[in-house]
Amino acid sequence: MCAPTLEKPKYAIKEPRNLSPRIQWLRDYYFQGVKRKWNNEFTSWTTGTPWDFQFNEASFYIVPETYAFLTTFTSSFRQTAYPVALHPDFWRWSLPERRAWFVREVMVHYLPKEILPGDLLAGARFNILASCCLTEKEAAEYNRLVHGKDGCRAAMLWLHNHGYGNAGATSGHLVPDYARVIEKGWKDIYAELEALYAELTEDEKKSARGGQLRAMMTAATMPRDLAAEYSRLCASLAETESDPARKAELEQMAANLTRVPWEPAETFWEAVQSLWLTHMLVMSDEGYPGPGDSFGRVDQYLYPAWQRSIAAGMDPEFGKEILKCFWVHANTAYDAMIRTGGNQGITAGYGQLITLSGMGAGGKDLTNDLTYAILDVIDEMSPILEPKPNVRLHRGSPEALLDRVVEMIANSQGAPFLLNFDERSIAGMLLQARKAGVEDLIRPDNVHEYAPVGCLENTMVGNDRSGTVDNNLNLLKAVELALTGGYDLIPYTDPMTGITEKAVRHGPDTGSAESLTTWDQFWEAYAAQTRYIIGKMVEVYETSEAVRARFNPTPYLSCLVRGCAQKGLDVTAGGAELSFTTLEAVTYATTVDSLLAVKYLVYDRKVCSLPELVQALRDNWVGHEKLQALALNKAPKYGRDDDEADALAYRVMELWTEETWKHKTRSTNRQFRPGMLSWNYWIAYSDILPASPDGRPKGKFLSNALCPSNGADINGPTANVNSVGKALGGKGEPGDWQDYRNLLPNGGSHTITFNPSILRGAEHRDRFKAFLRGYIENGGTALQVNMLDAEMLRDAQHHPENYRHLLVRVTGYNAYFTTIGKELQDEIIARESHQMR
Amino acid sequence: MSGIGGTILHLQRLSTEDGPGIRTTVFLKGCPLRCAWCHNPESIARYPQVHWIQNRCIGCNTCLEACPRGGLRRGETGLIIDRAVCQGCGSCAEACPAGALEVLGRAVQADDLVEELLKDRAYYEKSGGGVTLSGGEPTLQPEFSAEVFRLLRGAGISTALDTCGLCGQATLADLLPRCDLVLYDLKLLDSRQHRQFTGADNQRILENLTWLCGQLAREGGARLWIRTPLIPRATFLEENIRGISAWLADHTLGQVERWELCAFNNLCRDKYARLDMDWEFAADGLMRADELAQAGEWAAQGGFDRARTFVTGAARME
Repeated sequence: MCAPTLEKPKYAIKEPRNLSPRIQWLRDYYFQGVKRKWNNEFTSWTTGTPWDFQFNEASFYIVPETYAFLTTFTSSFRQTAYPVALHPDFWRWSLPERRAWFVREVMVHYLPKEILPGDLLAGARFNILASCCLTEKEAAEYNRLVHGKDGCRAAMLWLHNHGYGNAGATSGHLVPDYARVIEKGWKDIYAELEALYAELTEDEKKSARGGQLRAMMTAATMPRDLAAEYSRLCASLAETESDPARKAELEQMAANLTRVPWEPAETFWEAVQSLWLTHMLVMSDEGYPGPGDSFGRVDQYLYPAWQRSIAAGMDPEFGKEILKCFWVHANTAYDAMIRTGGNQGITAGYGQLITLSGMGAGGKDLTNDLTYAILDVIDEMSPILEPKPNVRLHRGSPEALLDRVVEMIANSQGAPFLLNFDERSIAGMLLQARKAGVEDLIRPDNVHEYAPVGCLENTMVGNDRSGTVDNNLNLLKAVELALTGGYDLIPYTDPMTGITEKAVRHGPDTGSAESLTTWDQFWEAYAAQTRYIIGKMVEVYETSEAVRARFNPTPYLSCLVRGCAQKGLDVTAGGAELSFTTLEAVTYATTVDSLLAVKYLVYDRKVCSLPELVQALRDNWVGHEKLQALALNKAPKYGRDDDEADALAYRVMELWTEETWKHKTRSTNRQFRPGMLSWNYWIAYSDILPASPDGRPKGKFLSNALCPSNGADINGPTANVNSVGKALGGKGEPGDWQDYRNLLPNGGSHTITFNPSILRGAEHRDRFKAFLRGYIENGGTALQVNMLDAEMLRDAQHHPENYRHLLVRVTGYNAYFTTIGKELQDEIIARESHQMR
Repeated sequence: MSGIGGTILHLQRLSTEDGPGIRTTVFLKGCPLRCAWCHNPESIARYPQVHWIQNRCIGCNTCLEACPRGGLRRGETGLIIDRAVCQGCGSCAEACPAGALEVLGRAVQADDLVEELLKDRAYYEKSGGGVTLSGGEPTLQPEFSAEVFRLLRGAGISTALDTCGLCGQATLADLLPRCDLVLYDLKLLDSRQHRQFTGADNQRILENLTWLCGQLAREGGARLWIRTPLIPRATFLEENIRGISAWLADHTLGQVERWELCAFNNLCRDKYARLDMDWEFAADGLMRADELAQAGEWAAQGGFDRARTFVTGAARME
């Protein structure tokens, strides 16, 4: 999932361009949303048993906004489910076999198939919620484990309500082995499954392993059978089509679908068709539309077919036309709950990420014609949400690519893509190889094949499930527990019952505030509480991980993840060759700044005692305004390229990441690994976590991922970037990749906002390119570039404390926006909103 | 250790307006000119000054106690700094919890400053940028400026001097070999007007520029950019712009790589207010686009190479 971006301004929004009538129509139609006659809304399907259900709630445990609706979702999907006539042997099969058969049955024989007007790709509806296919006994056990007193829902709610964060076994967030399907076809996957099954002994065939392989064989025929249905549909539409051009297209589509995705793709059209059908069925299989089901390096694995088709005379513009249809299809994922929230359904960003450019073996750049064609497609289609592009940059990135990237950034409010930085990312992946003992799978000679999923989470491709949004931990909770010796600072009050919990010590007894007389003692208390909150989250995650491993197999997806067939183990049970779950730390800068403030206020300057600080926090700073001002304005902060503050930032990073590596899931043996995504939790938890020592009152936003706290980066973007790089480990020998170090294999989210004037004119654009090259050297793993807009300037007028760093720079003059008068601010706002056009 | 100290206002990192590439601009404190339009009035005085930023103030009055000279009081419109009493000691700013009182100007050692400047080496190198000493006026702190340049050069960082040109020739001669770029201000060609608007005539400035160009023509070295602020009623006059253009065409021996005409802006109004200073351009708005185009025309008519003339800055939106 992707971090939500703030609402876009109502003016000066970038417009799509260079769209053919076909694409214009499809795009416009898509944006009609609920008014559309056709849509891809969830349909629900049942085995017809009274205990049946479809909705796998653990997949939503990481979305606190849905907690109030979990029961409603479960029962409404149950009530609206269509029955499916079951195979006579259905209940004699193992659970994975039942599920594989059921999903295939729905997709091939029940779900309506349509081709939208002018569409060049088949595969329209895919959002289904299929029966979990449990027996009565299994369902009872599932209910006990999920809804029982000690079930995973209760455990998850406790974690959330007490401000630790959230955890749950979530769907998606991986790059399936799409490259193999395009290159070798599903028949290759099927043949391998058949061979592996044939090698089993009779006893093994009767075991869970045999059942899993049979389930995967069933699943592997789903794309073939569905393509055959669509082929017939295209052929029949062609027969009645009066426009000869369209007729020819439909005939070609019918022909494509007789080959792919079962056979290897020859032409570019076939390759994109194969990719789409294969991808959409992952979403059907998981019953969740595109939660970070990512495509990986499309400009690499689609390139051979692109070259063949270009050589055979395909107009590159037609190739782009096919891709634009693909873009429209990817966006229909949002139709799943289209009626619940305006045109865009669910609030989450789905993050079907595509990766462009980046280095290959030996650091050689892999940018090609298709990279640029896809960038054109992004430019011409945007603004549009899916697929989310990510451009990989590295020292060897060509000038032409940077020119195009900067041009695209200049022409939109923010970059229409995320930038990923290879050297830093790769250093993290190689650290992961060492830490987890998988040096045979992540090596210096193959690590360049990595790709981000969801938003920016780095993983290997085709054999890796790293559960990149499964665990979201508020590091700040450890500061709170260190201040109180293991108690919640403010006891939790249930909003429904109004009952306030008795004060119970949850964390270890690290001593009262009175007893922590030195900074070193305080740090030790913080470290102990950090170990505790990580252990607590691991424990809570285990509850839903274990349930999913037993009851929610995804045999179709398992076919696309190397390791599952070989082990005869579903991907949900730890079948992937690289099987990780990621602990994403949230509130990082707020935590670092809080520690810096404690050190400054209590131990260095002795402005107050620790008990006095605790009281100020209990009072939410009310009546302690001077102390709060000192914390906000005088204590050091992360993000200013201040070596001392950044050294503490690194110490915090090292502590929690080292602790994270110590854990594995018990049920599935997945190794925990560290990352920093923080999605929207920095907003969501700002009302749950109490006031913090950095001066933040309850309710004020926490810090976002790796970013410095709002307004803390007063030394500008380069200082901000340098701090981020240092927090990750900076550079030095020995690095994990050249001299790069990176404690976060998953990577961390980093957003910087610029004034659009930084991109006016060729000279300034060159400077911005150089800034990005500087980022490659000094920065983090991923960067979202935002261009400051007038809306934000208005926000700066209302909340100057968040924008102290915002520099207004006009030739020969500089001043912080928030230090100048209202009248002048208005003038600048008026000018900026003009400049945006 | 180099024990050479100086007084600076602040560092501007990711500076994109003071020379090529990505730069850090160091604003030094103190200037020999008193330009009526000065955009950085806090840089004029050589000594530290205190200012009060109203929207940061939480009204705790800690500062009133902190001032050793009793130079602060709270008036109806806010905090009043008694400029006659204030010596810029910074006790109030140190005590202010909210950062609402700031001392403009701080003493630094050259080597400490350079350590800070080197943090952005990657960006300088990737962009062909470096460090610009500006102000204020760097030549007013010649040893400090020379030392900063020397240390930067030693670290392989490109250097630029942004000067008003009013200094001894020896100072210029000392700094010139230490910098890769000179940004040289030429505001008014007429010496009487120059005195009227800046407090000093321009004889020395023109002599120094002539000398500089001769030196560069003989020995090469630094690149040279000329900068002229476009100020309504002062420098933005046909006679002046044409005159400077003609003078540059005649006297600079082809050494001027670029001539920038920098549009007036009024964003510094509040800075004057915070320093309790009056400003005669407070009522002037941004220039119109056609005025900027006009400046470009005048510049071209004077004879200086059009291709090397640039009008920079923002225009008013109608």
